[in-house]
Formats: sequence, C-alpha cells, structure tokens
Amino acid sequence: MSTGRLLPLELVDKCIGSSIWVLMKDTNTELTGTLKGFDDFVNMVLEDVTEIRITDGERKEVKLDSVLLNGNNVAILVPGGAPEE
Amino acid sequence: MSSIESPLDLIRLSISERVYVKLRSNRELRGVLHAYDQHLNMVLGQVEETVTSKEVDEETDEEIVKKSKREVDMLFVRGDVVILVSPPLKST
Amino acid sequence: MSELTKEEPPAAPAAPPPTSVTPSTYLKSILGRPILVRLHTGVTYRGILACLDGYMNIAMEQTEEYGVGGELESRYGDVFLRGNNVAFISGDTKAK
Repeated sequence: MSTGRLLPLELVDKCIGSSIWVLMKDTNTELTGTLKGFDDFVNMVLEDVTEIRITDGERKEVKLDSVLLNGNNVAILVPGGAPEE
Repeated sequence: MSSIESPLDLIRLSISERVYVKLRSNRELRGVLHAYDQHLNMVLGQVEETVTSKEVDEETDEEIVKKSKREVDMLFVRGDVVILVSPPLKST
Repeated sequence: MSELTKEEPPAAPAAPPPTSVTPSTYLKSILGRPILVRLHTGVTYRGILACLDGYMNIAMEQTEEYGVGGELESRYGDVFLRGNNVAFISGDTKAK
C-alpha cells in the first residue's frame, strides 16, 4: 500500500472493510477487528472484534460481534490488523 | 424514560430528587440534586460521601475493603470526575 | 419464499462495494436495544440504550454494573454515563 502524499484520515478510509489493530492510550488495552466506518473524531465502528486487556501481567481476550469505539482514547491504528502471536 | 431525547434529560428529570453519583477514585455520593450544567458540574445537598479503599492485611494476606462515610450539607461536584448518575430506583 | 421477494433483482453483484457503517448509523441501529458499555477502567455496564449524545454521554435503563473481573456489582434503574469514561459501546450482549 502506497502511503505517499496520503492524508492521515485517507489512510484510515482505505482501511474500511479490512482488518485494523487499535492501540489505546493506556498501554494495556488493544482491539482488533474489521473497520466498518469512522467519523471526524476517529470514533470507529468495528466488527468481529477481539478486545485484549492486560491486567497484572494477565492477558484477557473478549470477542464481540460489533462495537462503536470512542476515538478519544485511541493512540495508534495499524492497518492490516494485529500480527500473529 | 421514553420521554427523554438526550442523556442530560435524565439529569434534568432528577432535579430535587435524591441521586446516586459514582465518581473517580472509588468515591460515591448520595444526595439531593439542586443544580447541574452541561459539563455535569453539580450542586448536591444533604450528601453522604462514601470512599471505598482496599488494603491488604499483612498477616493473613487478605484483602480488606474499607468504606468510610461522612455527611456534608452542600457541595459542588466538578463534572469531569463524574462516571455515573442514577436516580433512585422507583421500586425501593 | 414470500410474495414480497418476487420483485427482488435476480442476483446480487458479484463483489458489492464495501458498505460503510458510520458511528452515527451504528448508534441508530442499537437504540432501544440491549447494549454493553465498557469504560476505560474495565468496568462494564449492560442495559437498554435509551439515548445518547455527541459526547457519548449515555442514558440506559435496567442497568447492571460488572467489575473488572466480570462480577455483578450493582443494579440501577435508569443511569446516566458520562461519555469521557466510555471506551466502547457494543450491541453484542452475549460477550463478557
């Protein structure tokens, strides 16, 4: 995927319909899923979601059909989804 | 509940009622809602404040939940520390 | 097959364009439905979504509160949740 001269939100728009990996501001929460859409605040609708929370070194995964993710605490988006463990 | 269009309507309908307010830092308030604004800054009267803390007993290694309560006639709550506001259950 | 399906086009295009579900359309689809709300702290609320606004402030009915470990902590009738604490809202209530 060429990212030259691409505005940040254009990159996010290109991810619609594909897997995306979302890293939250607090470093112990991540989500992966299929990006269905987003708005100007980068609030996102994700489907087939896995939420990963790490508390006290323990990794916990939760599966959800669909979520509306608040863009407020999003730190990083990785197109293509999370790497295989 | 069917008559409300915005979440803040729920707060508007609770004016002069006793409400439960959950705040950050394990702090809870129960009191009469006198006023609020769009930030959810609030004025509460006849308030009971509950602070919950957890300590570990050094001998038994058990977790002890401590609740300390105090009463305040009138107070102001800054909206940004509010997590949840709930009117009292009608059935209780 | 019902009578209503007769007027449908014979076949869908082979590769339909990816349809975008924006936050706004997603919210409309879950209004009045059971939802799960996860706060940044890990605390979870389940209940019926009554309404919400642009700050993600949420009004819910028949609300249950679950602690970080998933244990039921409290029940409320109506609840106002301040949007800044909300990590996500999900219409999928089967999940924990």
